[in-house]
Amino acid sequence: MAAGRTLDGPKAALSAAYWVFVLYLLGPLLLMTAMSFKAAEFIAFPIGETTLDWYAKVVQDGQFLSAVGYSILIAAATTLFATVIGTWIALVVSAESLWLRSLVFALACLPAVVPGMIQAISVRIFIATLDVPTGTGAIIFGHTLHAVPFVMIMALTRLRTMPGSLVDAARDLGADPVVAFLRVTLPYLKPALYGGMIFCALLSIDDFVRTFFLGGYRTTLPMLIFARLQGGMSPEINAMATLVLLTTAVVGLYAEQLTRKARTR
Amino acid sequence: MTSLPADTTHRAEAGAKPPASAPRYAPGYGRLMRSPFYRATLGLLAENRAARLAVFIGVPLLWIAIAHVGPIVQLVRISLLQHYPITDGSSPSYTVANYWAFLSEPLYSLPLMRSVVFAFCVTLVTLIVVYPVAYYVAKIVRPQNRTRALLLLLIPFWAGEVIRTFSVIMLLANRGALNVLLREIGLIDRPIPMLYNYFSLSFGVIYLVCLYMLLPLYSAMEKIPNHLLDAAADLGAGPFTRFGRIILPLSKDGIVSGCSLVFLTTIGVFATPILLGGPSTGLFPETIAAFFHGASDKWPVGAAMAVVMLAASLGLAALFMRLVGGKRSARFL
Repeated sequence: MAAGRTLDGPKAALSAAYWVFVLYLLGPLLLMTAMSFKAAEFIAFPIGETTLDWYAKVVQDGQFLSAVGYSILIAAATTLFATVIGTWIALVVSAESLWLRSLVFALACLPAVVPGMIQAISVRIFIATLDVPTGTGAIIFGHTLHAVPFVMIMALTRLRTMPGSLVDAARDLGADPVVAFLRVTLPYLKPALYGGMIFCALLSIDDFVRTFFLGGYRTTLPMLIFARLQGGMSPEINAMATLVLLTTAVVGLYAEQLTRKARTR
Repeated sequence: MTSLPADTTHRAEAGAKPPASAPRYAPGYGRLMRSPFYRATLGLLAENRAARLAVFIGVPLLWIAIAHVGPIVQLVRISLLQHYPITDGSSPSYTVANYWAFLSEPLYSLPLMRSVVFAFCVTLVTLIVVYPVAYYVAKIVRPQNRTRALLLLLIPFWAGEVIRTFSVIMLLANRGALNVLLREIGLIDRPIPMLYNYFSLSFGVIYLVCLYMLLPLYSAMEKIPNHLLDAAADLGAGPFTRFGRIILPLSKDGIVSGCSLVFLTTIGVFATPILLGGPSTGLFPETIAAFFHGASDKWPVGAAMAVVMLAASLGLAALFMRLVGGKRSARFL
């Protein structure tokens, strides 16, 4: 770094590093997208003639459509459960008078730090000892377990900025604790919860390892793409993956903006 | 939320409480609070402090005990069993033989070593690669452009493990973009085999985890006040001194949480090694998974390995946090 002495040398180098990193992050995904327009049967560069046929094929692919439906079903259930439980835990953790607060917080965070693979196996063993079969319920349980800490942390960061006097005032004005929660705390939490809900849904839709160990015969989207990858590859997978990528990226960016707003407002 | 005619609820309530004290505003909630159904369920709970606390604290504690702790406890229990499906009527016998089987068999312990070393290297490389980028976004990009610069990096974050791994194959395959490009410019005449070895594996895993490093680093650096840097520069500190004495120490929290997140994620990746790894790159998750594919009689050994891996990964992450000494609250973004 000989340029370190001039003022603009390091800045230019850092700027270059940023753009190389952007290229690194987006390049492979752009290549994947580009390949979905290839006219020929096999995946290889250069692309040559282009076509939209693969998209037409994907949209008519029964397996793909059923995987989309199944993924959305699981994501919706996961979002519902994880949001309720995560918010509830956050409320308990933020209650000041609780002596075992830090223990509850640490245990609530546990699923976020246990490596995904181990969590999947432990839940697999757990449901086997309870005689619960693998399948939809098990997947939803596994995904919910994974998402709860994230919702809790998002709700907690929002709760921390909330003046306690708001709830006190509601109580003074005749609201019982339940109504005070519904009328004051919940609306205050709303932006963080919207962000958290989208986050849950995307975590669930993207998840592979938990579904792999807990799933039954129906496949979710990542499972389907994984299975197709291990079979013969054709640009149809690219079209499929591109559709999923576009959807999740748009929804994810929207959620990111939402939580950012929630944090700063 | 059944709503009976208003006058009956009033009559039922009249003895206990004068109607004047009923809340006038938010009539919907007032009606809700007065409805018999509510009074019999949530209202009862709201009025009884002990019951309210029991439900309020009890439900989350029950969930945490069952869902967060239960599976780990079961994992440990199964790992100590001599035989797994326990036959009816016989009492389970406990043993540590499963752990010995793991320790004495290099076929099992070697992949663990490989996984730990691999995760360590990935963490280090990711830190070195991402640190300047995080610094650029947090400190050099003008504040009004900062969110945009960050969001550009977050686009791939939401594509899952499988899709991102697949996109790496597009780049590195024998007839992938990189090889074709190199051949077009005439640097090589035969494709370099880049897939199914440590190169493709680390490339793919770093691709997968680098944003877990970026976000904590960014949020730590964003908090460094600019006037500290200006003051240091005024007092004659060069860029390297400023980096070593101000930026590095003040971004320590971000380094700790980023490295822990990346390490723990890397240890647990599963799909990427299957798709991008080769015969020589067997990592520990694949070894463990083999025990869970067939019948459940091999579960105890697999569970023992999972316990070892869990202890190793959490232990190393905790040790790292202790050594570098980040704040406890900084563990997450």
